[in-house]
Amino acid sequence: MLEVRDVVKTYDGRAVVDRVSFQVQPGEVFALLGPNGAGKTTLIRMITDILKPDSGTILLEGEPVGSRPRGSIAYLPEERGLYRRAKVLEVLSYYGELKGLTRPAARTAALELLDRVELREWADKQIQALSKGMQQKVQLCGALIGSPRLLILDEPFSGLDPVNVQLFEEILHERRAAGATVLLSTHQMNKVEEVCDRALMINRGHMVLYGRVGEIRRTYADHAVRVRGEGSMDGLPGVHSMKAVDGQVELALEPGATSDGVLRALLERGVRIESFALATLPLEDIFVKVVREGIGLDHGASGPPTVDEAMAGGVR
Amino acid sequence: MSLDTGRVWTVARREFLATVRRKAFVLTLIGTPFYFVFMMTITTGSSINAARKSISQFKAFGVVDSSGLLANAEHTMRSSVRSGDNPFQRRVPGAAETEQVFNTEVRFYPDAAAAQNAIRKEEIGQAIIVPADYLQTGHVRRYVRSAGLFSESADRAVSRWLAANLVRGKVEPELAARVARPLADEATFKLDKSGEFVAKSDNDELGGVFIPFAFAFALGLCITIGGQYLVQGVVEEKESRILESLLCTIRPTELMAGKLFGLGAVGLLVITVWGGAGLVVGLPALAAMHIQLPPFILPVAVAYFLLGYLLYGSLMLGIGAVTNNMREAQQFSVWFSFANFAPLIVMWKVISDPNGGLATFLSLFPLTAATGTMMRIAASGAAVPAWQVGLSLALLAFAAWFSLMIASRIFRIGLLMYGKTPTLPEILRWARQG
Repeated sequence: MLEVRDVVKTYDGRAVVDRVSFQVQPGEVFALLGPNGAGKTTLIRMITDILKPDSGTILLEGEPVGSRPRGSIAYLPEERGLYRRAKVLEVLSYYGELKGLTRPAARTAALELLDRVELREWADKQIQALSKGMQQKVQLCGALIGSPRLLILDEPFSGLDPVNVQLFEEILHERRAAGATVLLSTHQMNKVEEVCDRALMINRGHMVLYGRVGEIRRTYADHAVRVRGEGSMDGLPGVHSMKAVDGQVELALEPGATSDGVLRALLERGVRIESFALATLPLEDIFVKVVREGIGLDHGASGPPTVDEAMAGGVR
Repeated sequence: MSLDTGRVWTVARREFLATVRRKAFVLTLIGTPFYFVFMMTITTGSSINAARKSISQFKAFGVVDSSGLLANAEHTMRSSVRSGDNPFQRRVPGAAETEQVFNTEVRFYPDAAAAQNAIRKEEIGQAIIVPADYLQTGHVRRYVRSAGLFSESADRAVSRWLAANLVRGKVEPELAARVARPLADEATFKLDKSGEFVAKSDNDELGGVFIPFAFAFALGLCITIGGQYLVQGVVEEKESRILESLLCTIRPTELMAGKLFGLGAVGLLVITVWGGAGLVVGLPALAAMHIQLPPFILPVAVAYFLLGYLLYGSLMLGIGAVTNNMREAQQFSVWFSFANFAPLIVMWKVISDPNGGLATFLSLFPLTAATGTMMRIAASGAAVPAWQVGLSLALLAFAAWFSLMIASRIFRIGLLMYGKTPTLPEILRWARQG
C-alpha cells in the first residue's frame, strides 16, 4: 500500500505540493490528475524518492520510500527515452539487474516481457531500429521488469494505436490482479473512467478532488435524470424543465425532488422506459469545471482536508 | 549514504562495454599508436630518404679552379648515409649499422661559362668557382640547377672534398682526412641525474623531445577520452530523458560512481594497450638510441592517470549534469581539456628547463599536474625531486576528492533540471546545499 501523508514541497518559497495526502491499496489502479504545472511530476518524483519532501511522509508497504528496496517502484515517465544504439534485450536486462535481478534472471524476465508485448523477434535489434510504438512497449517492459510493487505510469497510452492501447490495458489489469499498486497519471479522462478505481486531482499543488471515480462523477452530476422511452413526459411533478440530449430526454429536477420520485411518476403515467440514469458529467467536463472555477483551492471555513479525511478517501 | 556495489558494478559494466564496443573507440585504441609510429617514421624516414635520394642523384659536380689550389685534387667525391640516421626504423638490437657510400664525379671546367653550360645541358647539377684570390678572401661562387630542400648532405660532401683537397699533397694523408672531417668520430659525455658524466647518444636530442611529448600526450589523451565519454554519456541520458526512469531505480551517487569506474576502466584499457604497444615497438627503438627511461615512470603514469581522471571525470560529470545538450557541454568542457594539454603548448620551455619555475608550477597545479609532471619526468636531464612528485600527487588527490564531492552534489540536482542552463551562483548554491 502507498501512503502519502501531508507532503509539502516548496521551491523559492512557493509550495509546489501543499499538504497532499492519499493512499493507494494493493491491486488498485489509482489516477493522479491535474492540469499542467499542478505539481504532479514533483509529487511523483517524491514518491519515487528522486526528490525529498520538505515535510510529510511517504510510505510504501509501511516503509519510508527512501529505505525500501530500490526495485520495488517503477516509473514510466511521460517524456521517456532509451539508449538508442543499445540492443533491446541488453537494455531490458540492464534495467532488470539495476532492480536487483541476477543477470540470467534479468535476461529471462526480459524475454518473457518481450513475449508478452509481442516483440520477442526484436530482442537483438538496436532500439533505434524500432518504431515509436515499439519503443514505447520496450519502455513499458523496462518499467515492468522486476515485478515492482508500485507501478507509476505517466501518460502510458499517448501515441499508441488502439490495438496497443488494449494491450497496455490488459497488462495493467494483469499487474493489478497480481497485487501491484498502479498509479496512473494521464489527461485521457476516458481511460481514467475505464481503468481506474479511484482518483486524486491536484491543482496548484492542492488536493481538489479525491475519491472513487464513480463517486466523483455522481457528486458533480447535474440535478437531472436522462430517460430513454416512449410516452409523454411533460409536466411531471418535481421536474422544472426538459430537453433532448443524444436521443434521450434530460429532465432537470426541482430542488428537493428525487430521482426515485421522478421514476415513480413516469411509471404511473405509463411511459415505457428503456433506460433511466442520473445525468452525470463526463470526467473530462468535471476536470475542466474544477480547474476553470478553481474549485477546491479555497477550502473556506473547513480548511484543507485533514490527513485522516484524506486517508479515508472520501469525496470532497 | 551507502552505495549498492551491485548496482555500481552493473552501471560500470554497461558503460565499459557500451564504450569499448563502439567502432570509433576501437579505431582510436588501435589506430592511435599506429598513426603515431607511422607519422614519426614518415617524417624522419622521408628526410633520410630525401637525403639519400639527393646524394644518389648527385652524380657529377663541376669545379672551375682559378686559384690553382686544387690542381692535384681527387676527381671523385665520396659521401655516405648511415642506417642509424633514422631512429624510428626498428632494428634488431645488436645488429651492425650499415653505411651506404655514394661516389660523385668531379669535373673541371676552364671557366665559369663552360661550367654554366654544363649545368644547362644537365651534365652536372652544380659547380663552384674558386677565384684566384680565394686564399685571401675565401670568396666562392656556386651555380646550381635547382635549390633543393634536402641538399644539406650534398653541401656537406662538397665542403669535405674541398677541405681535404686544399691540403692534399701538402700534409700527411691522415691530417688531410682529419681536416676534412675533424669531428667524424666524436664521443660526447653529458652530466646525468646522479652527477656523473655518461656517454651521450646522437639520438638524445630527439629522444629528449619525443619521449616527454609522447608520454604527456598519451596521458592527457587517456584522461580526456575518459572524461569526454563521461560527459557524452550523461548528456545523452539527460537529453533522451533516460534518467527519469533510471533514477527511480538507482541513486544518483551510484550512477555517478558506476560511470566513473566503468569509463575509468576504459581509460586503463587505453593505457594498457598503448603502453603495451609502446613496450613492443618503442623499447627496442629506445634501446637502439641508448635512451633509458626512469624505471618508475609507468607506475607513476598510472597513478597520475587515475587521479587526473578522477579530477577531470568528476568535472565532466558536473558539466554533463548542468547542461542540456552536447553543444552546451562542449563549451564548458573545452576549457578543462585545454588545461589538461596546456603543458604541451609550453613544451619547449618545460623540457629545456624541466626544473624551472613554470615546469614546477605546471606539475603542482592539479589541472595540469598529470601531463606537466609526466613531461618533466620523461625529459632528458631532468631530475624531478621526489618531494615534488609526492606533493603534486597529494594536491591532485585532494583536488580530485574535493571535485568529486562537489560534482556529486551538482550531479544530484542538475540531472533533473531541463531547459535553462543554471547560472554560476545557482551552481554554487547547489554545491553548498546538495
